[in-house]
Amino acid sequence: VNPCPEFDLAISLRSAGALEPDEARRLEAHLATCAACRAEAARADEVALLAKLPPVDDLERRAVRDLSTRTVEALHASERRAGLGKRVVAGVLAAAAAAVVVLAPAVLHKGPAAPAPSAVEAANGAEATWESPDLDVLWEDAQVVDFDSTSAESASDGTSAAVAAIDF
Amino acid sequence: VTPAKHMDDREKGAPPTLRVLAGGVTPARREEDALVAAFLVGDDDAFGELVRRNEPLVLAIVRRYARTPEDARDLAQRTFLRAFEAARRSLRRAPRKDAIPFRRWLVRVAVNLAKNHLRDESRFAKAPLESLGAAESAPPAAAEALLHAERAARMRREVLRLPRRQREVLTLRLDTELPFAEIALALGITENAAKVTFHHASRRLRERLSEETP
Repeated sequence: VNPCPEFDLAISLRSAGALEPDEARRLEAHLATCAACRAEAARADEVALLAKLPPVDDLERRAVRDLSTRTVEALHASERRAGLGKRVVAGVLAAAAAAVVVLAPAVLHKGPAAPAPSAVEAANGAEATWESPDLDVLWEDAQVVDFDSTSAESASDGTSAAVAAIDF
Repeated sequence: VTPAKHMDDREKGAPPTLRVLAGGVTPARREEDALVAAFLVGDDDAFGELVRRNEPLVLAIVRRYARTPEDARDLAQRTFLRAFEAARRSLRRAPRKDAIPFRRWLVRVAVNLAKNHLRDESRFAKAPLESLGAAESAPPAAAEALLHAERAARMRREVLRLPRRQREVLTLRLDTELPFAEIALALGITENAAKVTFHHASRRLRERLSEETP
C-alpha cells in the first residue's frame, strides 16, 4: 500500500532527522492514524539504519592518527616540487633570453662587411673556377709591344715570343 | 558524536551553539578564516590546525568510498591538499568577504574525489563493504548480528549504485549529518532540491529493500 502523497517527502526527511518541529508534530499525528504511512516510515527508518556506516574501529583510528602530520609533510613536498619546477623554468627562460641578446643583432641588422677571403681561399676559389684559356683569344688580346725585338732575340722560336707577351 | 557536531565541540569545549553575528559570520567561520589566512602566509601550525579541526568531517565523507583505512587516509589527505589549493586560488581572485568558506571547499572536493575514486575502482563493489561488514559482525557472533551485517553490506552496496546526485546527498546527510542547507551549498543546488533528492534516494533504496524481503 502506498503512503499518502502529502506525507511521502516528510517520511523520508523524518528518517534523516531533518524535519522542523512543527512538520514532525504534524507527521506523527498522521502516522498515529495511517497504517500505510506508518509502514512506509518504518521502512524508511530501516533503510537509513542499514545504509549508515558502522562506527569507526581501532584499525581506522590507527590509520588516520597521523593524518595532519602527513598532510603537512605532503604539502611541503608539493611546494618543494613546485619551487624546483619554477627554478627550472626560470633557468630555461634566462638561457633563452641570453641567446636572444647574443643573436638578435646578427638576425635583425646587417652585420659588418665580411672579411676578404684569404689567399688560400682565393686560390681554392680560383681552382674551382679554372678553365683552360683559349690560346687564340689570349694571342689576339696580348699587346705585343716590341715584336720585332723579341723575334730578333729568339728568331728561331716563335713560341717564346708568345709566352713573353702573356707574361706582360 | 557526528563530525559536524564534533567540530563545534572541539572549538568551544561545550555543546554546539550557532551564533549568527553581524554579516552572518559565525565565530567558527571567523576562526577558520583566520587560520586559512595564516596558512596562506606560510603558517604551518595554522595548516595543521585546519586539518585537525576538519579531519572528522573529511574522513566521514571519504570513508564510505575507501577500500581500506589507509585508503581513507590517503583520500582525506588528497582532499585537504586540493581544498587548500582551491582556497588559495579562490582568495587570490575574490575579496575575502566573498570567498567560499574553507569547509565548503572541503566537502565539495571530498565528494568529487570520492566520485572519481568510485569510478576508478573496478573492484570497489566488494572490498569496502565486505570489510566493513566483517568488522561490524565481529563482536557478537550471534546469527542475528551476522544477518544484520549482511543486510547492511548489501544496502551500502545499493547506496553506491544510486545515481550520482542521489548518492551524494544521501551519504552527506547520513555520514556527516550536515544540514540540508549546507549540503545544498556544497553541491551547488537549492536546499529544497537537496531534500527532494534525498527523498528519491530513500524511495529507491526502500524499493530495493522490498525486493530483498517481499
